[in-house]
Amino acid sequence: MSEVKYLTEFYHLNEFQGLEGYKKNGGYVQLERAFKMKPEEITEEVKKSGLRGRGGAGFATGVKWGFLPKNGEPRYLLCNADEGEPGTFKDRMMMERAPHQLIEGMIISAYAIGAKKSYIYIRGEYDYPIACVVKAIKEAYAAGLLGKNILGSGFDHEMDVYAGAGAYICGEETGMISSLEGLKGQPKLKPPFPAIQGYLKKPTIVNNVETLAAVKYIIRDGAQGFRKYGTEKSAGSKLFSLSGNIVKPGNYEVPLGYSLKDMIFNLGGGMKPGRKLKAVIPGGSSAPVLNAEEVDRATLDYECLASMGTMLGSGAIIVIDDSQCMVDMLGVLTHFYHHESCGQCTPCREGTGWLNKIVHSILEGRGRLQDIDLLLKVADNMKGRTICALSDAAALPVLSFVSKFRDEFEFFVREGRSKVKGTNYAQMHH
Amino acid sequence: MPKCTINGHEVEVKEGATIMEAFYKLNEGIAHYCYHPGLSVAGVCRLCIVDIEGNPRPQIACNTVVTEGMKVTNQAEKIKDGVKWVLDFHLINHPLDCPVCDQAGECGLQDQYMQFGKYSSEMAEPKVKKHKVVDLGPTVVLDSERCILCSRCVRFTDEVSKTNELGLFNRGDRTEVGTFDGKPLDNNYSLNTVDICPVGALTSKDFRFRQRVWYLKDSETLCTGCSTGCNVKVYYNKEGAFRVKPVYNEKVNGHWMCDEGRGIYKFVNREHRLLKGRMKQKGQSTWTDMDAGALAKEAYQVIKSAGEKLAIILTGQYSTHEYQILLKNLPTKNVFHWQNQAEKWNEFDGLLLRGDRNPNTKGVELAMNASGIKTDWNDLISGIKSGAIQTVFVAGPENMAVYEDMKEKIQSLGSVQNIIWTTACKSEDFEKLTNNVWLVPMKSYLEKEGSFINNQGLEQKFKKATTIVSEALTLAEASYLVSGQNIPIIKMEAVDTFIDASRRPDQVTLEHRKKNEFVYKRGSL
Ligand SMILES: Cc1cc2nc3c(=O)[nH]c(=O)nc-3n(C[C@H](O)[C@H](O)[C@H](O)COP(=O)(O)O)c2cc1C
Ligand code: SF4
Ligand code: SF4
Ligand code: FES
Repeated sequence: MSEVKYLTEFYHLNEFQGLEGYKKNGGYVQLERAFKMKPEEITEEVKKSGLRGRGGAGFATGVKWGFLPKNGEPRYLLCNADEGEPGTFKDRMMMERAPHQLIEGMIISAYAIGAKKSYIYIRGEYDYPIACVVKAIKEAYAAGLLGKNILGSGFDHEMDVYAGAGAYICGEETGMISSLEGLKGQPKLKPPFPAIQGYLKKPTIVNNVETLAAVKYIIRDGAQGFRKYGTEKSAGSKLFSLSGNIVKPGNYEVPLGYSLKDMIFNLGGGMKPGRKLKAVIPGGSSAPVLNAEEVDRATLDYECLASMGTMLGSGAIIVIDDSQCMVDMLGVLTHFYHHESCGQCTPCREGTGWLNKIVHSILEGRGRLQDIDLLLKVADNMKGRTICALSDAAALPVLSFVSKFRDEFEFFVREGRSKVKGTNYAQMHH
Repeated sequence: MPKCTINGHEVEVKEGATIMEAFYKLNEGIAHYCYHPGLSVAGVCRLCIVDIEGNPRPQIACNTVVTEGMKVTNQAEKIKDGVKWVLDFHLINHPLDCPVCDQAGECGLQDQYMQFGKYSSEMAEPKVKKHKVVDLGPTVVLDSERCILCSRCVRFTDEVSKTNELGLFNRGDRTEVGTFDGKPLDNNYSLNTVDICPVGALTSKDFRFRQRVWYLKDSETLCTGCSTGCNVKVYYNKEGAFRVKPVYNEKVNGHWMCDEGRGIYKFVNREHRLLKGRMKQKGQSTWTDMDAGALAKEAYQVIKSAGEKLAIILTGQYSTHEYQILLKNLPTKNVFHWQNQAEKWNEFDGLLLRGDRNPNTKGVELAMNASGIKTDWNDLISGIKSGAIQTVFVAGPENMAVYEDMKEKIQSLGSVQNIIWTTACKSEDFEKLTNNVWLVPMKSYLEKEGSFINNQGLEQKFKKATTIVSEALTLAEASYLVSGQNIPIIKMEAVDTFIDASRRPDQVTLEHRKKNEFVYKRGSL
């Protein structure tokens, strides 16, 4: 089996970026069809399609929509385009190549949940995607696809773009809501969940770019048609961002359930000459790492990766070859999470800093053997105890790196240098 | 009303109550920092984790609503272990400077660590450095390294004082409490942040470095600062009274009190007090010191000879039964209510502080109504002018700082022949009296028991804490003596429990402190 072109069917066409080209290739036809359906019917169809959130947590989209209170205005739809998870760059391509695809998916979703206002929260560094989406929204307004009484359906909808300011935590849905509200970007305590009390304390649905874009295809092909790709529990196709020590990094769309090995060795062109696969982070930097033996068995779907103790996450596959030092790599990750913790919850605030210091002590030749177990203990006590999942996201790589590549850590502590690179931190980086 | 089981004990709670509230209701121990019953739930310290039967993950008690039949425990090993770890997370970057920290002895971190802690820290890395001695405003100093970022102080300024001065700046373990540029923490409730700060991060400029808390006794009483009557604790030892903190009373002050009221410990200390009875003859400028009881008896002669020409002036600063006994012992219809800044009496800051800065105005009114007395201050002035009033007995204010009209009132008594003035404190204003004057030393509210009737008409009792001036009388005792009765209730204590200010070590440290304190402004590093 190979790559599929489902969401990305027209991505090779430059004209698909503009309204005219988009319409020429079937654009906004599904919106008209959706308006002929009742909002509940759309939610029902999304439920049946088995679409799961593409932002990281993989929560069933239709079920999430179902949590909204039956009545009551206003309510909001927020599109999560913060794309902060290290290794992920698929939303960026979707917004650059097909902004109208997202907008159409969003209007349909907004109609389904009864939201008259939506925001697309885009990562601030994404200048070009922001420009593309803003331009497309303007085109949509001009063509009567946004605003009052869209296409004579009686449905009103306003859409806006909000540029983030570079915080990873603003990709967490309630952190994003705080940021949109003009507050410090920190997650909110749950319950209440956003579907009950979200943006401005009103019912709110947050979905990822890819999730919302996919809704259009559920309308087009029906729930069953959407299930043409994927597995029972992981329906549809998905974009994966392939990066790392690989010949052909890039975004690839494959059916869920696709073999990870094929992804790396067929689509990705395999390892660089003379290099061997050592490990793969399958779902963005927060997902526990797989070793080479596990990679052989893994398929890209929610259930298989979960059974291997890791996750599909945002679909960012980071390939690591035998030239990489796992201690050094973990140092990069702990640095990232330490930098990005919002600092509300004690275990996360203090734990991310502590982990980072321990790993760097090892990297700088000050490590003690007991530090290796200490890393495991600290990380273990950061899991499942905080307001948002950043704490878990910081702990999981530590747990998996240390337990699967313990020899590299022990070597570094004993010898004061990397088992792989033969050098210490200062020599590696300066 | 759902029922749940907490550590094996069944308890019924209000609909919508949290597990934390159930623990409170049962008085069952649970570690927590960020939860405060007077503030919104932040759920950030993550200490209050509990195990709920059927739930695989530990949950926080402060944000989990009790449902019928819920079985909760914080005694399970995995929870205890979890709490230890969260405490360790709190402490890894804490400076552990208890020996020089004002909070030591009443510190949440110390207390909870003794109870739930892991004892041996495994932290071998350098600690995060943060700002110390940050001048947040006129009343409070911050030590960011001690701060555990529970956000109570920030929520207080957002939700209670609604002044929004404080915020959490920066992220992760670089987060620090601070004020927005150019806006100090400056409101009349600011010192509540010091009370609710579970650690020694926020300290009161008034109290810091003056006493170790374990050398202080405390006694519950009422704030005499205004007619709200907040319930408070006064902390004192033999060197004096040192601070006042609020005590929870749902009906009166909730969890809080105002900063102004916290000053009411100051005037009770000996350096401000009238320690002996004093008298002076008309036209003379020197005072004769006298035993308080003897002085009061002498005043009896004056009062007796005044007969119908006696007037009584009451301030709202004594206890309810003191007024009643006074009016019984000196039966006259010439009773006048000294209303200091009466035009402000209806003012209210919306939270606690009222314009009437007397604790017992209602008590005065009650006593006067009971004796059927209706008078006007102008009647007093004209009575003095016409000579119909020759002698006045003034139940003078205790907290003179709030009697801005002191000088004016003294002037208006100008030509009266005799003044018997009961007062707890000294005042230069008494020098201006040109009449025959008898100054009777009074006990302060800390040295007697009684009751005040507050603005809402609620009568609240207060009890005696200590003796500061042994000679001083209560107004009731004075009234017996000046009406010629000998009363057995006077029981003087042989020794004053407070020592003189000049011998207080804090006089030295205060000076020392001023010279040595190095205060950072935010952003100066
Ligand atoms: C620390 C953190 C960062 C996250 N960043 C992103 C992000 O950049 N983009 C995203 O779509 N979801 C992100 N998520 C997941 C969101 O919280 C949320 O689950 C998602 O937006 C829901 O949309 P979905 O159901 O369509 O996936 C993040 C979660 C966490 C805990
Ligand atoms: S887990 Fe970390 S990032 Fe998430 S809310 Fe708590 S402190 Fe902030
Ligand atoms: S200063 Fe005190 S009250 Fe404020 S956040 Fe820090 S520890 Fe909490
Ligand atoms: S008291 Fe519950 S999290 Fe702090």
